Amino acid sequence: MLSLPLELLMAGQPFVFGQPNALSDGGSLVPLNFRFYISDVRLLQSKDAPVPVDVLTAAGVPEPYGVHLFNAEDADSSTLRVLAPAGDYTGIRFALGIKLACNQQAPASLEDPLTDASQMTWPHTGGFLFLRYEGRYTAADGSSAAPAGIPPAVHMGGDIQQELVPHVTVSSAFSIPANGRLEIGVRVAVDQVFKGATADIDVSDIAVGLLSTPEAIAGERPRRELPELPVFELQP
Amino acid sequence: MSDRRPMATRAALAVTLLSCAPTLGGCSSGGGAPAQDSAPSLIVSTIPAGFPKGTNIERAPADNALTLDRALLGKRLFYDPQLSRSNEVSCSSCHQQQYAFADPGTVSTGVEGRTGTRNAPSIVNAAWGKTFFWDGRAASLEEQAGQPIENPLEMDLSLADAVARLAADPSYVDGFQKAYGEAPSESSLQKALASFVRSVVSGSSPYDRHLRGDDSHFGPQRKRGEALFLSEKAECFHCHPSGSLSNEGYFNNGTFTDGGDTGRQQVTGRVGDLGKFKVPGLRNIAISAPYMHDGSLPTLEAVIEQYDAGGRGDPTTDPLIKPMALSKEEKADLLEFLHSLTDDTLLVDARFAP
Repeated sequence: MLSLPLELLMAGQPFVFGQPNALSDGGSLVPLNFRFYISDVRLLQSKDAPVPVDVLTAAGVPEPYGVHLFNAEDADSSTLRVLAPAGDYTGIRFALGIKLACNQQAPASLEDPLTDASQMTWPHTGGFLFLRYEGRYTAADGSSAAPAGIPPAVHMGGDIQQELVPHVTVSSAFSIPANGRLEIGVRVAVDQVFKGATADIDVSDIAVGLLSTPEAIAGERPRRELPELPVFELQP
Repeated sequence: MSDRRPMATRAALAVTLLSCAPTLGGCSSGGGAPAQDSAPSLIVSTIPAGFPKGTNIERAPADNALTLDRALLGKRLFYDPQLSRSNEVSCSSCHQQQYAFADPGTVSTGVEGRTGTRNAPSIVNAAWGKTFFWDGRAASLEEQAGQPIENPLEMDLSLADAVARLAADPSYVDGFQKAYGEAPSESSLQKALASFVRSVVSGSSPYDRHLRGDDSHFGPQRKRGEALFLSEKAECFHCHPSGSLSNEGYFNNGTFTDGGDTGRQQVTGRVGDLGKFKVPGLRNIAISAPYMHDGSLPTLEAVIEQYDAGGRGDPTTDPLIKPMALSKEEKADLLEFLHSLTDDTLLVDARFAP
């Protein structure tokens, strides 16, 4: 089993869920909610085609729908586990979200991690969120007005009519030994999510209905930029 | 390469896609046992519309399968004031059927008139709950069931003393033997209470019927209210998603003010959990006043006004709770939608009565 513990970072420092995290401007940020889906995991090889791998629970059984929900509130979810064959790899590729076939289904017809309890549902006509963040900023002077680069909420989702889930490639060479067991840490740069969420990108084409809110717009920007945004990094 | 295709309008096609979702395939987990067709009288196989898969029978833990004997024993215990030190109050004192098993008092009243700090939440549809109590400190109904008995502000009786009382009553000894194959114990006491609570299901409100395609009691105003409820203007759905109406999470909804009940933080110790409380389900909300964890809002109108104002102004309020500027008509529509969640049959259902 390849274990990939995920660690949240802000500007290279641990970003602790539910606690005040000091920022460079003297303010602090308390993450109140941070969760995202990972699915369609593939291991990359230098010459051969990517190897699709099963996503496993902590108990070692396949996750329903092949989907893992990272929930910063739940330590049990902080490690992505995949069943990987021994070999040499150049990186990992995965979908940051869920595939269209799942996104089109009503949560009541599904089971965890694709139920309402995931906190990742938009109204039943809107599919699921792919990534959700909310936080509370406090400036050095005690005020709550966040600077432009700190969004109060980021809600990234898809569309039940088309496949819009972003795929992420994280390059770093590693070898899985014959016994199949390896652990590689994954750094998750929350500041890069914020960078994407507050970038000067015109997303006015989505400003209809559900997606016209600040948090949805803040989510749509990184969805478009994610293949290039260095949010994820394998620890050397 | 970035996918820059425009996000198209969602709603119109969504209904069509969802209605034929089972034929789409591609998102299967390989699980799910069928519901029982013939259920015992107290135990129904109904799943409220839009709730997660699995009946209450299927959701019971393996070491406390939901049986009629266990639920009936639990019902007797639920209504028995012997479980309080002074024989004054029972579970039903704070979870009253005519109020959808909630408490009309602002906060709960225990033995000798002692008052707690929170309004007792409804137990209806708790079979689908993930955690219990306003602060989520219990991970199962079994774990939850014993705490009010021992709480000094509620029933103030140790579980050991409760078991001793039950063991002195031959009819209870028989009941526990029949249900659990053993004499009364702390574990089986908690399991029996959990079994009754797990049996209390409400799934016949006009909203449930609406979700099943029957709009005979779900007129235009209720539909407008539902649409607003699910819109990004009111944003109710973030915590109360369509169907189940609870995402089982913890949020600071703007009721907390400085010096008040710190809620979820008492369990986790996290700064960010200050003033967070569990999102309640909303079935029968119109008859389970007062509202919020502290029972501080007497009416649904007051609830809507508080949300419309963006909470009470504390800086710890969740960032998604913002002033909404709802019109008078929109507030009326929301209120009418909330009234559609009342399941009148539950309030008088003899199966759940003493």
